Amino acid sequence: MYFRALALLCLSSSTLQAADARFEKDIEPILRTRCWKCHGTAVQLAKLNLQTRESTLAGGEHGPAIIPGNPDQSRLYRMLAGNEKPAMPLDGKLSATEIESIRNWIASGAEWGATQQPGDQAAQRTALEDMPLPANARDWWAFRKPVRPAIPANTNPIDFLVAKRRSAIPTAPQANRNTLVRRAYLDLLGLPPTPAQITAFLNDNSPNAWANLIDRLLGSPHYGERWGRHWLDLARYADSNGYEHDFDRPNAWRYRDYVIAAFNSDKPYDRFLREQLAGDELPTTSPETLTATGFLRNHAKVGFREKDNPEFRYEYLDDMIATLGRGVMGLTVQCARCHNHKFDPIAQKDYYRLQASLYGYVEVDHPLVPAAQALEHKTRNEKIEAQIKPLRQQIRSIEQPYRDQLLPAKYQRFPENVQAAIRTPEAQRTPGQVLLANQVIRTTNVSTTEIDRIATKEDLTRKQALLAQIASLDKQRPAPLPLAMGITDGDYRFTPDGPGDEPAPGKGIQQQAIKGSFLHQGIEPYQAPASYFLIRGDINSHGSQMQPGFPAVLVSGEVPTAIPPANGKTSGRRLALAQWLSSPDHPLTARVMVNRIWHHHFGTGIVRTIDNFGVMGELPTNPQLLDWLSTEFVRQDWSIKQIHRLIMTSATYQLDSHFENSISNTADPGNTSLWRFPIHRLDAEIVRDSILASAGSLNPAVGGPAVFPVLQPEVLRAMTHGIWNQDKDGPAVWRRSVYVYRKRGLPFPMFEVFDLPDQNISCGARNISTVPTQALTLLNNDFVLTQAALFARYLEEALPGNRQAQINLAYQRTLARQPSPKEQQLARDFLRNQPLEAFTHVLLNLNEFLYIN
Amino acid sequence: MQTHRSRRKLLFEALGGYSGLALTSLLAEGAKPNPRAKSVISLFMSGGVSHLDTFDPKPALSKYAGQPLTGKGDVVVRQGHPGPLMPSPFTFKKYGQCGMDVSELFPRIASHADDIALLRSVYSKSNDHVQAHFASATGMIRMGFPSIGSWIGYGLGAETKNLPAFVVLYDAHGAPFGGPANWSAGFMPATYQGTVFRASGTPIIDLIPPASIDASRQRARLDLIHQLNDLDAATHPGNSELAARIESYELAYRMQGVAPEAVDVTRESEATRKLYGLDNPVTEPFARQCIMARRLIERGVRMVQLYHGGLGNQNTDTWDAHEDVKSNHTRHAAEVDQPISALLTDLKARGLLDSTLVTWQGEFGRMPISQRGLGRDHNPGAMSMWMTGAKIKGGQIIGTTDEFGYKAEEQPISIHDLHATILNLLGLDHTKLTYRFNGRDMRLTDVYGEIIPQI
Repeated sequence: MYFRALALLCLSSSTLQAADARFEKDIEPILRTRCWKCHGTAVQLAKLNLQTRESTLAGGEHGPAIIPGNPDQSRLYRMLAGNEKPAMPLDGKLSATEIESIRNWIASGAEWGATQQPGDQAAQRTALEDMPLPANARDWWAFRKPVRPAIPANTNPIDFLVAKRRSAIPTAPQANRNTLVRRAYLDLLGLPPTPAQITAFLNDNSPNAWANLIDRLLGSPHYGERWGRHWLDLARYADSNGYEHDFDRPNAWRYRDYVIAAFNSDKPYDRFLREQLAGDELPTTSPETLTATGFLRNHAKVGFREKDNPEFRYEYLDDMIATLGRGVMGLTVQCARCHNHKFDPIAQKDYYRLQASLYGYVEVDHPLVPAAQALEHKTRNEKIEAQIKPLRQQIRSIEQPYRDQLLPAKYQRFPENVQAAIRTPEAQRTPGQVLLANQVIRTTNVSTTEIDRIATKEDLTRKQALLAQIASLDKQRPAPLPLAMGITDGDYRFTPDGPGDEPAPGKGIQQQAIKGSFLHQGIEPYQAPASYFLIRGDINSHGSQMQPGFPAVLVSGEVPTAIPPANGKTSGRRLALAQWLSSPDHPLTARVMVNRIWHHHFGTGIVRTIDNFGVMGELPTNPQLLDWLSTEFVRQDWSIKQIHRLIMTSATYQLDSHFENSISNTADPGNTSLWRFPIHRLDAEIVRDSILASAGSLNPAVGGPAVFPVLQPEVLRAMTHGIWNQDKDGPAVWRRSVYVYRKRGLPFPMFEVFDLPDQNISCGARNISTVPTQALTLLNNDFVLTQAALFARYLEEALPGNRQAQINLAYQRTLARQPSPKEQQLARDFLRNQPLEAFTHVLLNLNEFLYIN
Repeated sequence: MQTHRSRRKLLFEALGGYSGLALTSLLAEGAKPNPRAKSVISLFMSGGVSHLDTFDPKPALSKYAGQPLTGKGDVVVRQGHPGPLMPSPFTFKKYGQCGMDVSELFPRIASHADDIALLRSVYSKSNDHVQAHFASATGMIRMGFPSIGSWIGYGLGAETKNLPAFVVLYDAHGAPFGGPANWSAGFMPATYQGTVFRASGTPIIDLIPPASIDASRQRARLDLIHQLNDLDAATHPGNSELAARIESYELAYRMQGVAPEAVDVTRESEATRKLYGLDNPVTEPFARQCIMARRLIERGVRMVQLYHGGLGNQNTDTWDAHEDVKSNHTRHAAEVDQPISALLTDLKARGLLDSTLVTWQGEFGRMPISQRGLGRDHNPGAMSMWMTGAKIKGGQIIGTTDEFGYKAEEQPISIHDLHATILNLLGLDHTKLTYRFNGRDMRLTDVYGEIIPQI
């Protein structure tokens, strides 16, 4: 024993000698190359600085990094070895030899030697934050401005460019007029044509019949319900918050109606973007532009203890950046939150520039009345509040003696140790008793009902008189103003708390005793709160303070990053962002939007990855066509309806879908060159709308608060929070599906089964799946069976007793055509033994019914 | 290449979750030969089971009872203020040859100690129920990502043509925290989302037509649908989407027969029903779910996700023991101990345990300190879970927590590590099982996940 101790002593003194050399040779290079980037003098993630022995021993927010002599208890070693998560370094494990060196070094006392100069802090920051733009970054096709191809005179540009790209293969003839009229109605309105509408088109022999039909449809209020819905997918619109509480958003529908109206009025797309991003910052605002800012509030939101969890807000900002990136620019900007983008030339700094552009946002419910009226409303309410306040104070003083009297008994339900802690005078409590008493005293309350039960008659009478006074004052409050869910700039730290949103006692950012106001007040112009480059996306690891800006690869020349409005109430950063995005020179905005329009007409985009024009996206199948359409879009003052006209009046759009040819099929099996019209399935909402329309039960009312069609009790059981009003089945809920309440926590089952996209992420292209539950829904669901029966009744009433005519009319209403003789025969045979509602039910199940042909 | 690949993918996506077609069989990505398990039964105790009162005894809690928890950094509680350290109100005993410590709450589950691999150092990402549920289901605390059952269905397909690959059975009191988002397919096609089977009545919504449409009437409708669809399909030759839809009607018809039978517990023998506790009102609801799970696995379902604890009343109907850990956990343990034990016995007796992975967990553990005297608050820093079946070596304890059970200490295991391990047991490589979304090859384990070496 003695000898061993002596030997150890010798060993340790000799290693002490060797430690310097080993540190400089083996340890310092590891620290320098692998650790100091994030844990050095410039940047201290988790407040840890590994630059000096003192700071390493002191450690960071998780305690000391090293316990000399004890590697197994040393966090530095444990994390490098992977014994503790997250394993370090984050960008790849050290070699086994390196880990062993660190272990031995700590075991022998972690002596420090000379370190090389780390360089100045600014240089270290730059190394961490800045990504030089690769020389060829701007060469990617989508980052170059579109080049308008030359089109020969007297040719349809779309047909010319499609044909130019297609090899000489047989192409389909024009579809017949029945197919075309159904295609146009479903495509533009999301409703099948009525027999009268079909006949009107078939009988129109003028050369402009088709163009006139398209104009008529574009003028229909139902057009916005269909095409607005595409935008609502992208805007991840819903009527509830999501997450645990899934709170109702009573005013969300105004944004939905704004979008529908914007499409109906053919609001220029550049204006549409500006209103949604900065409707509160425009030179002239209106209820419409304020409602538009709901776009930035459509993300899912926890809505509970928000200020206790500042990371939530960064998730919402990320969601906005993701939605803007993919939805408007077709770029996955959000990939650059924690590191530079792995594939596209988007720097992490670009992400935080965009974040700075949005950072000042706060959630507000904009009153949709003139400012003076809103102010008067507020003043009147405040006056009443001021009158109510002393009355409440009086009630409290009446109640207080009873509260004091009842409280001790309330503590009796707690175990003895808790009661003992409460009984013990505050100064004498043990540290554990302090905790016990604190927990209970702060959270135990006496209810009003309990007080009323023991209060004297006089006190009760006095209290009731006061309550009556309050009630009568409440009645004098002005009627609530119409409100729209939107945003503006302010200071989020002073956001009024929502229900359940009060910071937990003793926690929360409010404890930091900061002074400030929620919405900007005062004479000086508004200043956005500082935001920072977040190292590895960690909200506690601040890098440089960020200025607003845009992805460098997309910026040429001087572009303003803030356009402060004259009233000084907001920063103007969002307006600058919107101006930049909607500039005719932006290489992506117009391309991405025309590609979306093309996608919805043909089932696939010219760029098939419609939310991703970056390196990981697919190349355009017809780049010239995309460029022509996007330049034309800008030329036509960003008119979406004009793009519909151009596309739909092309011969390409009118091709037959049934055409089959083995040469064409071999040459282009994917039909990317459009040698025939590609059939595509109806979206979930349109399946339901078409059923209602065919059955003659559709309630065509446009706009207004959401409706709640009946859900089966089994489905409602899965609902844990929030609302579902369960309206009565009938015309009031037989509205277009765009008006069905969108509940994040409980997607409407019929839509979900037909590929409703996840309502929490921006979605440009829906999945199309074919599953037996779709068949089960159409076969057995109450709604479908009810509508099939109503459909049968409609036929019977329209054409009493005339089976053949009923069959024909049913075909007209569902498939916009006459049945073939074979189909007539099958139908007649079927109806010999089966009721008419069985036949209408069959039609609602047909593939042809579910597809645009 | 791209086109060819996407056509194959389309065909797969059209019917994948139902047809026995697996992505891997078409594209040979991420699957390994001879997987250890074919299917998974996940037993999820919603609300947060206390590890300190079940599988992770801490004598230090008795020694330091009533004192503040110090030396562990910030003590973060979900509600209000921290209380002092609180010993478990339950006694622990050693079970099996391995001598595993389990509390008196689970005597029957503990009798399987030698078959169980106990993981004591699991930690989660959030101390909110919903986000922690999402983390367990999808690896992410945000909404919008596919659940592990969706990934498994995507990777392996179902073994049957007549049932979905991924089935969810939730508590009679209601859905777990977060509801259907827990079995969402996220950005994947709807094919892969979990199908909820109900414990009574017809198991799937809209499975059976109303009584007014009897079998022959329904068959007549299906026949006419078929005939008319065939006429239409003839005008679109070679369209796989239309062909798949025609086939889906036949699948739907077969499901009407197969699905009710698959979950019909009355077909079980008297002895089996007794074994699970179907005869006892306390154990009956979860016993029913456990028997259904076994029957579904037998019929080729890949993953059955069971939830115990639903909303309901959060304080009483889930494991969320803020008020009183003793009464809450006593009640819920009594509801599940016998059914779970019976499930393990039954799977073993039928030779199914070797090919079935059974996992048991909650969304997080609970605090070593008390909440208002008797309760425990949420603790994502540490939780216990166990796995059995799939030829996993039983009787082993993996990882430790600190002396109070506040944080995972030796071999901390993340949710991503768990997911990687589960996929691995099914023969799926978590780094290669990817789905292209948003310009990225997404993974269940994101960029993380290490397989637990002992499993």
